[in-house]
Amino acid sequence: MAYSNRFIMFLIVLFAAVGTGFFSYAGQDLERLDPWAFDSPRRPGAVFSHDDHIFLLDDDCSVCHHVYENGELIPDESSEDLYCSDCHSLKPMPDNPMPLEAAYHNLCRDCHFDRGEGPVLCGECHVKE
Amino acid sequence: MQTKENAMTDTPSAVEKPTDPAIESGLERLTPERIRQVIQQVLKKETGPRFKAYVETCMRCGLCADACSYFLSNDRDPQFMPAAKVKNTVWQMLKKDGNVSRDFLRRAVRISHLECNACKRCAMYCPFGIDIAYMMLLVRRICHKLEITPQYIQDTVNSHSVTLNQMWVKDDEWIDTLQWQEEDARDEFEDLQIPLDKVGADIMYSVIAPEPKFQAGLIYQAATMMHAAGMDWTMPSSPGWDNSNMAMYTGDNEISGRIARKFFETAAKLRVKRIVMGECGHAFRSVYDMGNRWNSWVMPPFEVVHALAFYHELLTQGRITIKEKYKKKVTLHDPCNVSRGRGLHDKAREVVNLVCKDFVEMTPNREHNYCCGAGGGVINCGPPYKGERMVNNRVKAEQLAATGAEVLIAPCHNCHSGLEDIIQHYDLKMEIKFLGDLIYETMEKKIYEPEA
Amino acid sequence: MNSFIAFIMGPMVWISVIIFLGGLIFKLVGILGAVRQKEPYIYSYVTLKHSLRSIGAWLIPFFPRSARLSPVYYGISYLFHILLFLVPLFLASHIVLINEAFQISWPALNDSVADVLTLGVIAALIFFAVRRIRVPEVKYLTGAMDYLLILVVLLPFLTGFLAYHQWVAYQWITVIHILSGELMLIIIPFSRFSHMLNAPLTRAYMGSEFGHVRQARDW
Ligand code: HEM
Ligand code: SF4
Ligand code: SF4
Ligand code: SF4
Repeated sequence: MAYSNRFIMFLIVLFAAVGTGFFSYAGQDLERLDPWAFDSPRRPGAVFSHDDHIFLLDDDCSVCHHVYENGELIPDESSEDLYCSDCHSLKPMPDNPMPLEAAYHNLCRDCHFDRGEGPVLCGECHVKE
Repeated sequence: MQTKENAMTDTPSAVEKPTDPAIESGLERLTPERIRQVIQQVLKKETGPRFKAYVETCMRCGLCADACSYFLSNDRDPQFMPAAKVKNTVWQMLKKDGNVSRDFLRRAVRISHLECNACKRCAMYCPFGIDIAYMMLLVRRICHKLEITPQYIQDTVNSHSVTLNQMWVKDDEWIDTLQWQEEDARDEFEDLQIPLDKVGADIMYSVIAPEPKFQAGLIYQAATMMHAAGMDWTMPSSPGWDNSNMAMYTGDNEISGRIARKFFETAAKLRVKRIVMGECGHAFRSVYDMGNRWNSWVMPPFEVVHALAFYHELLTQGRITIKEKYKKKVTLHDPCNVSRGRGLHDKAREVVNLVCKDFVEMTPNREHNYCCGAGGGVINCGPPYKGERMVNNRVKAEQLAATGAEVLIAPCHNCHSGLEDIIQHYDLKMEIKFLGDLIYETMEKKIYEPEA
Repeated sequence: MNSFIAFIMGPMVWISVIIFLGGLIFKLVGILGAVRQKEPYIYSYVTLKHSLRSIGAWLIPFFPRSARLSPVYYGISYLFHILLFLVPLFLASHIVLINEAFQISWPALNDSVADVLTLGVIAALIFFAVRRIRVPEVKYLTGAMDYLLILVVLLPFLTGFLAYHQWVAYQWITVIHILSGELMLIIIPFSRFSHMLNAPLTRAYMGSEFGHVRQARDW
């Protein structure tokens, strides 16, 4: 009896700790990306804070708004005036092998992995509506 | 019918649990050291990947339970389900690495020798095809090496070892019996012969030792059929004539192998084309499936024809004709060792229908038959265990009663004796016969003449 | 945390798949070798025809008499085994990850269908556990290990279900999901789940012994 009580206490504390950690982690001024370019998206658009990213990247917009030509990254050029889907089609194409979905996943998640911060699991970006 | 109802509700607790002197004195001689050595030797050295797969694959799903007549007869008592028998023997032995007690072994002898007919029905119900009979025979092998085999069946093995037949039949006794049957049969066919040691004959006819011992009439009937059908046949006069093999069921593989080897050598000496055998299930298993393997023959070195298939041949080829079909309502017991063991059930039905007017099936049947409860050496453990044998095969009695037949055909010696007990115990008001009995009774007593 | 997740989503996946497949192959080679060495007679009894005949008969739903005697358990177990492979392999979220790693993909299940099927797997596992408590002959055979094995399969499906719905502690649930899936793969070759490999082999042997030697059916 004592054993199972202690076990239940342990579980409650564990879940409480995890819960607080999770909710405090969710940052401020989040916006949800509109997945209009996808035919029938299986997941809600990712949530993300543009301001945080500008701040964290020291105002270097070209990290995300990059320009590639013939598979080569063009340094010091940026593409804020384009939609991602202007270059990345839904299916891989000869002139741009990186499809739209993978472009997002690789760019965001890999960067988060590299920097050791930011969400990396599916549901951390595609938070349920 | 009232008495039958009562009899059918016998509970296991109503049955005496006698102690077997051979088991008890054997147990007393054992030391923990010896027990461990023997168990380790058998389970590690004498098994291979097959055993390992059986042990590690069983998912404890319980599907084998419904296969076992012991389980069904004992009101679904879990300890009688096939996998439970493995749990209470082999799994424990493995877990304790052979360090098991005498009490454990006393139980293991009973489980493996008296609570399993090695009928392999469960192998057809386990989704993995785990062969529990094989593991029960391994336990018997351990018991054999520990010298705690039940007394009566051990005696038959001793007889095999000394005389190469199961019933201490002496050499002159054997020849006398054959001559006596030959003489008697001459009342029906005046020039009938039981040809002894005829080298180069087509067929060697072989029987089990209980036939000369107390069912000599069966040899008479077989001789009549052989003669009427005009077969070129012979019987051996010296040891090697008995095709039974009790050592196969006690795990005494060395003697078992010797018996089968001698049997085939006898046929080789007579240079026959094939071996025909009487209505016995386990004997067929011994020479068709197990004895040949022990002697490294994949399949038997001679074509071995069980009586069922032989009758089928005689009747369908018109070598024996039926004068008038048997009238009483009959049902047929499929002996495991020739139905599940050799797929002869369809031929058996054809023969029954050729010989009898009114045939009714018992269910389940064919490969799915219930064992008679006597097989696998169980009945050979003798009278001390008859009471529990009756309780342990209640399903068979119920199955028989449901047919409403007057006559039960049991084309296997073990089945025949076991079912006779069942009929008596449950007061089933049935006659029991071999298929040969019916053929003999209904056949035309004239000699076959091939059309020119 | 991200480096830990990177590890369990990267190298750890490789490790577990290699242990899973390698373990099974190693086991198979071991069995075939041991058969050759200790029970070579098996090779002379097993025939392809009768092996396939038996395996086939046992794959037809409710064909074996044994299955018809326990239709509920057998039916549930049959569906469970199909879903056990189907759901993880055709789950959109898994396919996306594989696609990003290897640029290969295949059609995915609709998410809400997969959700229901996952519930089906969970229900089947709960049924197995309840059956182990309620059916006397199964209870008699059951030990702690049997519940543990059920738990090992339950965890990845349950956490996968919870993660999809993001109800509580998403990050932790997902981490447990990944780890328990890898755990399941890793222990398959070393537990009774190796019946995945053994089942066709034992069936082939019994099918051949019945079909080839005994000339009878084994279903
Ligand atoms: C493709 C290969 C597989 C085959 C042919 C197979 C076959 C079987 C069979 C025949 C049973 C026994 C009883 C029944 O019919 O349910 C069984 C039980 C079971 N299998 Fe499998 N299986 C396979 C793969 C797996 C895998 C990969 C797992 C899990 C990782 C698994 C988990 C289970 C469980 C948990 C049970 C026991 C259910 C209970 O508790 O009664 N199986 N399997
Ligand atoms: S071999 Fe026959 S008697 Fe033995 S456990 Fe299996 S079904 Fe029962
Ligand atoms: S049916 Fe087979 S796997 Fe299931 S408990 Fe019986 S022996 Fe084990
Ligand atoms: S005695 Fe008859 S029914 Fe019983 S195991 Fe032998 S063949 Fe089977």
